[in-house]
Amino acid sequence: MNNKNYKNRKMQDGILRGFIYLAAAVTVSILLIIVGFIVYKGAPGINIDFLTRSWDDKTTFVNVALQAGKADTGKEGYIPSLGITVKEGEKNLVIVNIDKSSPVKDALNLKNSLYRLKKTDEITKIGSDNTEDLSFADAVQLLKESEGTLRLKVVRPGGGIIPMLVSTIYIILLSLVISGPIGIGAAIYLNEYAKPGRILNSIRFAIQNLAGIPSIIYGLFGMLLFVQVLKMQYSILAGSLTLSILLLPTIISTTEEALKEIPRTYREGSYGLGATKLQTIARIILPGALPGILVAVILSIGRIVGESAALIFTAGTIAQIPEGLVGGKASAATLTTKMYWLIKESGDLSAASSIAVILLILIVLLNVASKMITKVFLKKTGSSR
Amino acid sequence: MMKNVSNENKTGKAIEYREALFKIIFLLSALVSVLSVIAIIVFVFAKGLKPFFGNDAYSFLDFITGLKWDPNNNVFGVFYMIVGSLLATLGAIVLGVPIGLLTAVFIAEIAPKRIVAILKPGIELLAGIPSVIYGAFGLGVIVPLINKISPTGQGQSLLAVICVLTIMVLPTIISLSESSLRAVPKSYKEASYGLGASKIQTIFKAIVPAARSGILTATVLGIGRAIGETMAVMMIAGNNIGGLPTSIFSKIRPLTTNIAMEMGYASGRHQDMLFATGVILFTFIMAINFTLIRITKKLGNEGPLR
Repeated sequence: MNNKNYKNRKMQDGILRGFIYLAAAVTVSILLIIVGFIVYKGAPGINIDFLTRSWDDKTTFVNVALQAGKADTGKEGYIPSLGITVKEGEKNLVIVNIDKSSPVKDALNLKNSLYRLKKTDEITKIGSDNTEDLSFADAVQLLKESEGTLRLKVVRPGGGIIPMLVSTIYIILLSLVISGPIGIGAAIYLNEYAKPGRILNSIRFAIQNLAGIPSIIYGLFGMLLFVQVLKMQYSILAGSLTLSILLLPTIISTTEEALKEIPRTYREGSYGLGATKLQTIARIILPGALPGILVAVILSIGRIVGESAALIFTAGTIAQIPEGLVGGKASAATLTTKMYWLIKESGDLSAASSIAVILLILIVLLNVASKMITKVFLKKTGSSR
Repeated sequence: MMKNVSNENKTGKAIEYREALFKIIFLLSALVSVLSVIAIIVFVFAKGLKPFFGNDAYSFLDFITGLKWDPNNNVFGVFYMIVGSLLATLGAIVLGVPIGLLTAVFIAEIAPKRIVAILKPGIELLAGIPSVIYGAFGLGVIVPLINKISPTGQGQSLLAVICVLTIMVLPTIISLSESSLRAVPKSYKEASYGLGASKIQTIFKAIVPAARSGILTATVLGIGRAIGETMAVMMIAGNNIGGLPTSIFSKIRPLTTNIAMEMGYASGRHQDMLFATGVILFTFIMAINFTLIRITKKLGNEGPLR
């Protein structure tokens, strides 16, 4: 009888143990499949052009003063008067090489400001002739025979993520500048000043609530208050202000944890030396809590990088580098909102996955950074956590 | 001598003012959170409740029980969305909690240190992955798979949403359950072993029950995350304009995606109705938050058992 019981128990244990291993295996394979899928789909699309170019093609008319009397080297596609080498593109001429002293480096756009031509720029119109109507040889001939000042229509190809990268960085900086001081100040109040009571309760209640509100609600609120009522339009400021509120719970609770780690004796020592409360906070507590505050900042950056629902209705989805804080020119897509837009509006899953790879790399870097800060900090204080 | 004293008083006063000033600054910073919550509630509710009052008010009953959403014909019903949201959340929790809890048990009690050192960062990564990426994954992997087995020949479905939401709530449930399992005092374990229990028995009869409040917190947070998730769900839900889901292969339209899909171009009453959808969502979230605050308060009273 006893033996049977023991066997039963063995079997039960075995089954439960099997479930535990199964669950862990499921979790691990989910992680591997997601990362694997994104990398498999997205990695082929990542190259220098993807990382350095603007998103949209840019068409510009330029005037170039041709240089006379330069010898033709006879190489195919070399235009001596422009100092460039061209090759045949799909419908046009693609610049593949530019001489050091080439006049296209002094090209002027129609507003008479400098617009330097670059490699990979495409010439789509020479004077009044469209290059797609000409054969390659005719187009080269036309370029060689032109004299004086030549007007070219140039297309700079897009397909890169620079505008989204820059916008993401702008929004990160702006959001941190707004919510960082407020969050840290709030944490200081909660940990150093607040006494149990109604005010403290309502603040804690508010923070807990803020943490639970889904980002689409932040999006609604931000759109209503900042975009419409305060007339900021879709802009990085409207987006950053919305994100600042969303970040407050993260910053406050992480900073508070860091403040709690500072031993009581430090404060007592400081007071004992005659320091005031403010001096103690500024000279003893904040420096000690710095690593924790850095971790709060890194966690916030992670959230900003990953956020999209709160941004599509506050910062917009236009792929441009924002010029200004509010208004039409300040509208900007971050990497995630652009990714969403690509999937939703154009169904381009591979380009979206390429952006996703960049996002994954960013997230991993942020995770590693916060780990390292915590490690260094723990070593310094000798805490055993 | 006299002069000195008055000087000291002066600097003393200046210091006092500064102390008081900064205290007020810190207090104001803390109050920003309170103001924000109030502002969010006031703004969203004011706009969201507007269409139900006034001269040509839309019947709130029709709104809350309606089975069709057709802004062009002035039909705004969200009942089927509420059902969709709840079913998706329920599915994600039913799948996510056991998998998450057991994974947490694996990490906290069974796995050797070296495996934990790889697994934990992996789960943190899972938590940090932006939800659009989950959406892309759902669209690229899960939807085509469901396409093959679905009788409707349509991959975007309740099932797809449940799968993706399960994955998305996993990190929350794992990390919170794990820390609450670790917080169970060693003496519990020793006592259980002392009574002759095996390791697995100790885990399921002593440690997991002792950590139940933490696991409950994790579950409630998971519910909150699942019901509020927008971007990933929007890409894979199908977002039909009407009709209750009849099977797991039916398309659904959760409350969140109703807002996100149409907010970009909505205006007038249509926009107000999207805010009204937000109000419904908000009400759910507040209920979840209150539950959560209740639980955590109880935890505070219970002492070391987290």
